[in-house]
Amino acid sequence: MDLADQLAHHAFCADMAPPVRERLVACAREERFEPGAFLLRQNAPAATFYLILDGQVEIKIAGTAVGHAPLETLGKDDAVGWSWFLPPHRWHFDAVARATTHVLAFDADCLRQAMQADSAVGYAITRGLLEVVVQRLQAARMQLSDLYGQP
Amino acid sequence: MDSLEQAAAGRPGEGLVPAPWRIAARREEIADGSVFTWSVRPEAGEVPIYRPGQFNMLYAFGVGEVPISISGDGAASGTLMHTLRAVGRVTRAMQNLKEGDAIGVRGPFGTAWPLETARGRDLILVAGGIGLAPLRPVMCHAMRNPEAFRRVFLLIGCRDPQSELFRDDVIAWSRRPHLQVEVTVDRGGPAWRGHVGVVTKRVQRADFDPSDAVAFLCGPEPMMRFAVLALQQRGVSDDRIFVSMERNMQCGIGTCGHCQWGRYLMCRDGPVLRYDEIADIFDVREL
Repeated sequence: MDLADQLAHHAFCADMAPPVRERLVACAREERFEPGAFLLRQNAPAATFYLILDGQVEIKIAGTAVGHAPLETLGKDDAVGWSWFLPPHRWHFDAVARATTHVLAFDADCLRQAMQADSAVGYAITRGLLEVVVQRLQAARMQLSDLYGQP
Repeated sequence: MDSLEQAAAGRPGEGLVPAPWRIAARREEIADGSVFTWSVRPEAGEVPIYRPGQFNMLYAFGVGEVPISISGDGAASGTLMHTLRAVGRVTRAMQNLKEGDAIGVRGPFGTAWPLETARGRDLILVAGGIGLAPLRPVMCHAMRNPEAFRRVFLLIGCRDPQSELFRDDVIAWSRRPHLQVEVTVDRGGPAWRGHVGVVTKRVQRADFDPSDAVAFLCGPEPMMRFAVLALQQRGVSDDRIFVSMERNMQCGIGTCGHCQWGRYLMCRDGPVLRYDEIADIFDVREL
């Protein structure tokens, strides 16, 4: 499967028009992370956006009382990282591969330029990111509410 | 014949008088002992036939009675299993009972998971916390009858790795090719290798066929509400979604009214209900 096919089959791009996906392909490359490899490092420049093709990644926060505890695990069809989208373009958390993980990696400069140049591309990516952010926010609220602790 | 007439037609007090049973075995599900499973055996007669999803009224003599789902059977040893969480006066008293102690049992009561509706289809079980207990008999059925369902997806959410229930069962289920088991926790420690996140995410990602799937849900109501949304987004129709609702069951035979939920008496009409039949009241507060 080439880059365009992989992109077309990823949940993040499911509703995107073919011309939008073509613009994304121009910014994409395939990458592979072995277990333990970092996709994102807390406070490092946020220069890449990832779509997971397969494998497992955990989002972590360093320096907490419980050690390097995972906040969430992500897998096939998930997106990783949105700090590249807004200043100061630095990662807020770590993301580490738990298993061998294949991703589509997008150059953030290239993406931002494509979004500026073409409002359809800008809207499609912003909408996709917003969906991811909303889902993660809802999940975080549910996790915080300690549902299973209730009688 | 309604339940009052049925009660009147039977012997006086039929269905209301607990039979003496004994605790044959007790197992702690969580290390702190707050969740435990009893295998209980009748003092006389046979273990009653139950359907997965039904509950019994368990009586701690001199303390009180609580509705507890049947979490399995030990047909060979003539016992039924109940998994309890010590959260109130009665269940805390039950926490102190030991093997060999006597309890009272009435039941089984209520509606069951519609296994026939799921026959030959993909079956999705979404369990939150102790909500796995009423779904356990469904998994036991799927283990004994691998041809009953096309595939079974058991999606379990719990607070942390320490509060995962039926761990040995979950491992055994995971090894069967037709059973796909996913456990996700809200808070995973550094040693946890499973999923971290909400169980609805597992609903979004599970590889079932939404056009020919049936879902059984049991857990905290907010969890079930989000799980229903996730199933609907995947395309599972409301008449194929079944939820197990918990209310203040007392008589167990639909006469006292303590467990009324809108137009339903949950001990008789529930606990298992089809979602399209309750959608209008599912999210009504204080009902």
